[in-house]
Amino acid sequence: MNHVFYSHSILTVVLIWALAGTSVAGEPSDQIKQTTDKIISILVDPDLKDPSRSEERSKLVRKAADERFDWQEMARRALARHWKPRTDEERREFVPLFADLLERTYMKKIQNYSGEAVDYLGDRVEGKYGIVKVKVSTAKNLEIPVLYRVREKGGVWLIYDVSIEGVSLVNNYRTQFNSIILKSSYEELVQKLKKKVSKKRDLGAG
Amino acid sequence: MKKFDLELMVGLFLIAGIVALGYLSIKLGKMEVLGGGGYEVKALFSDSGGLRAGSSVEIAGVEVGRVKSIVLEDYQAQTVMFITSDVSIQEDAIASIKTKGLIGEKYVEISPGGADEIIQPGGRIRETQPAVDLEELISQFVFGKVD
Repeated sequence: MNHVFYSHSILTVVLIWALAGTSVAGEPSDQIKQTTDKIISILVDPDLKDPSRSEERSKLVRKAADERFDWQEMARRALARHWKPRTDEERREFVPLFADLLERTYMKKIQNYSGEAVDYLGDRVEGKYGIVKVKVSTAKNLEIPVLYRVREKGGVWLIYDVSIEGVSLVNNYRTQFNSIILKSSYEELVQKLKKKVSKKRDLGAG
Repeated sequence: MKKFDLELMVGLFLIAGIVALGYLSIKLGKMEVLGGGGYEVKALFSDSGGLRAGSSVEIAGVEVGRVKSIVLEDYQAQTVMFITSDVSIQEDAIASIKTKGLIGEKYVEISPGGADEIIQPGGRIRETQPAVDLEELISQFVFGKVD
């Protein structure tokens, strides 16, 4: 069974599609599946695999992610208590910065996609909020439970938090941002994030 | 007359002793009588990982309440927490089950959110983070290393 996963044959791709298509239920699941499928199709596109087009590939992935992730809500939740005192201008600056930080942190990992299967284990909706449970199976038969927290906005379900192995992304950044702001200041945090984003960008180019 | 005084004193002393004992047992047992000065908040965890009724609920390491009960609901852990009344919890707060030290007791840590809406008594903390199963993580790490 493992050998099937290892080989990068067309068969593997077909298998992923088949696996990804199983047990889909509910609107939030459907919409997340749409985006995931879109991103996977970009990642497995042989035309885009060329290193010279890696920037274009990243841009396409980011664009697909932008449609599904509510960056403003994520940034607001990550800043938590420190969101309210921010001026509109600071918020406008912070939201894209936070999105860039996530992009720089996770794009490399996403780029390394090698046929991981995505299983949709169902969702639960409660008013405007919902959760979508997903299981990512790697080639080494490692199963990673992923939980998306989504919120409905005008008929579209947008992700505002992702939990991997039960560890919430927003909570992780909330704790870090809080301790940085309390130790120094909000300005310092923005400086740090800017530095981090630009550093990662250089690494990505080199 | 003198004998009556002595008996009265002994009686009073005994009553004072019982009251002190009752006070001690309530304080030490961390039982709140009459639900004194607080409110209940619910949270649904996919894994409570050894959390018990009586475990503490903390914000920034400060105890702000205790776990009142944990029951199984839809194969998840429905936890009722008792929070002191002077602490309000925002709608987007995240409740996570943590361990004191590496193998210490479990407790609930609430990281406060920034939303304007406050969770009302009897309300529910929507965002929860289950206990991280170290053993599972280690085994995954180990099996991930294979081949």
